[in-house]
Amino acid sequence: MTPDQPIRAAALDWAMQTRAPDFDGWDGFTAWLEADPAHAAAYDAVQFALDDADAALELLPEPEVAPANDNPPGWFASRRGWLGGAIAAALVLALTSVLWLSPSGTMYQTAPGETRLIALADGSKVELAGGSRLTLEGERAARLEAGQALFTIKHNAADPFVLTAGDDRLVDAGTVFDVRLAGETLDLAVAEGAVIVNPKGQALRVTAGGRAVRGEGGRYSLAQVDPNAVGEWSRGRISFENATLAEIAAELSRATGKSFSSPDTATRLSGSIALDQVRADPRALEGLLGVRVRSADEDWVLEAE
Amino acid sequence: MSPATALEEAYLAQRERLLRFLRARGAGDAAEDVMQELWLRLAAAPDPQAACGIAYMMRAADRLMIDRYRSEKQAASREKAWAETQPGLADNIAPAPGPERAIAARQQVAAVQQALEGVGARPAAMFRRHRIDGLSQRQIAAEFGVSLSTVESDLRRVYAAILDLRSTLDEV
Repeated sequence: MTPDQPIRAAALDWAMQTRAPDFDGWDGFTAWLEADPAHAAAYDAVQFALDDADAALELLPEPEVAPANDNPPGWFASRRGWLGGAIAAALVLALTSVLWLSPSGTMYQTAPGETRLIALADGSKVELAGGSRLTLEGERAARLEAGQALFTIKHNAADPFVLTAGDDRLVDAGTVFDVRLAGETLDLAVAEGAVIVNPKGQALRVTAGGRAVRGEGGRYSLAQVDPNAVGEWSRGRISFENATLAEIAAELSRATGKSFSSPDTATRLSGSIALDQVRADPRALEGLLGVRVRSADEDWVLEAE
Repeated sequence: MSPATALEEAYLAQRERLLRFLRARGAGDAAEDVMQELWLRLAAAPDPQAACGIAYMMRAADRLMIDRYRSEKQAASREKAWAETQPGLADNIAPAPGPERAIAARQQVAAVQQALEGVGARPAAMFRRHRIDGLSQRQIAAEFGVSLSTVESDLRRVYAAILDLRSTLDEV
């Protein structure tokens, strides 16, 4: 009788989502339920357990916990105001990006530090980040081969836009969304509308302000994101969340076109960086990230302080 | 148009969508009956104007199915308990809540308390504000001075602990 773990986890997600007063994904929820009768059973079991817990909570004395800001005094908190003043660079239209025509479609590739705006015939657009590769397979299909892209898609329920990223299929439902592919990791953030991940698989629906990250092993974890921050790289800013210095160096190389590296896969940081500052002077990262920046040949090496 | 007529029109306009949801939600052949029950609940809503919104109606339909699940489960366990204590009696009259049930309820409360202690004070406090006081995740983030993603991951941990607890209780 115990539902499969992935179904249980999905049911828990839906229970959290439907609980939100402004939840508006009822049709997506219906679609998930219709996909498998086991989904409704798992969701019932979750709601039943939560009801019981609510009843028990009413009887329990209220614990005395003073809500407090217990964020560690990290660099992000202390330097945020400083960063806010930096003005984001405008989207730079690269003239050097490569374009191939192949039987499978048109491939666009950007060098690190470049971005490219691809306008589609129906008014949809794709902004391709630096060091990225994307193939357009017709008007309503694309494949992200590497890197990151921000999609602003004109929705057509009869002919949804389908993006393939790695092994996953992302289907739009009236949408502005950003996808980043780095090795095994796929990071989807939705600014408007919704995206359905693998409609024939887990049929995960990610709505505006939602973020789904596929890590090793192919499992998705859900998180929330500020919709205004989605695709901010196209406005000259990149953000990290709990990323290692090595990952940050790789992202910075792709975004700025300068070569960054770091042997450090242990130190993790979160935060947001205005790229034009880093382009102008890679050493600005010392102040921004609280790391040491060492110049070695043509390379900028990041080290923990 | 009176609020009652507006509600009826809204309900009729969304009928197919609600029916489809109820069927998917597990109502099956009983979906039409459940629709009747849903209408009664909507008509009794304290604010008929708010009840016209699709989100309100969907939420009411979801709640209705949760309540049906509970009453079916309770009916089944009552029958089982009755059959166990009264072998040979085919009647399924519900017994009054006896001392055993009161003890079971106390155990449930103690188990929830233990689960909440297990997840830590902050997530437990967030869970209470969310479930009992009805605060949204965004409001909780503001109140506790943490990011929205922290609230979500904290709440998710409590939800998972509550679910695990349920599975353990069911196995006993």
